[in-house]
Amino acid sequence: MDCDQVVRTLWDYLDGELTDERMNEVRAHLKACRGCFPHFDFERAFLDALAKSKEEQAAPDELRRKVVAKLRKAGLA
Amino acid sequence: MVESPDAKREQDLRFEKEALPWMDDVYRFARSMTHDEADADDLVQETYLRAYRAWHTFEPGSDCRRWLFTICRNVFLRTREREARQVDTGGDDAVLETMAAVREASPFASTDADVIFSRLDLVPAIRRALDELPDVFRTAVVLVDVEGQSYDEAAAVLGVPIGTVRSRLFRGRRILQHSLIEYARDAGILVPAKNGSPQEGARDGL
Repeated sequence: MDCDQVVRTLWDYLDGELTDERMNEVRAHLKACRGCFPHFDFERAFLDALAKSKEEQAAPDELRRKVVAKLRKAGLA
Repeated sequence: MVESPDAKREQDLRFEKEALPWMDDVYRFARSMTHDEADADDLVQETYLRAYRAWHTFEPGSDCRRWLFTICRNVFLRTREREARQVDTGGDDAVLETMAAVREASPFASTDADVIFSRLDLVPAIRRALDELPDVFRTAVVLVDVEGQSYDEAAAVLGVPIGTVRSRLFRGRRILQHSLIEYARDAGILVPAKNGSPQEGARDGL
């Protein structure tokens, strides 16, 4: 794979959405290429930051009560 | 066919055990779409009501969280149908979008990803940038990047082909990267490199 092909598939690679063969090709290229690794590093850090932004926000108790009340009204035993 | 009381009780117990524990996730997903607490409350209630009514169609052993996300998304779209259709997604050329996004980020990539991603608390900036994304992009990003769904799973929730998820995801990420780079510049910690001088050293996590 050349650099353009690797850059085009970086997000698919980081998302684990390539075939095993393709994953190996990208991995091998990144190990050897001084130009592509920083792109990979940036994209990996970006996706890590996105994943960490997940709000650990619980549904409010009042909402839980409303949902259960609505379900009971609809027939939930 | 009339359901026996025992069968109904069993179905209800399964619903309580399998569907209700996902309420935090459904609530978070609803919030990401509505941007509004009251609207999210309504959406969650409607989602659970519809899920309960359709519980007999849920395949035991399949992914209940994804099933609830799908219902939530459909309810949301139905209530916001006109608005959702008005958003111009500008085509689905995912390859070009990926290329453009990565290329655009390249001066920063070669400077140092750590500058942006380690030295800044990006969570508030990311949440704000996510809120500002058009709905079609935001939903794809939230499902894949925040909630950890695969492209395939996100496609099932959204009812669109995988290629569309991929395209929306990549466009959404590109917009987010723009916002974060602006944020880093505003914070005064980021100056684009003159040239992309490649880094040497360990190549971890490949």
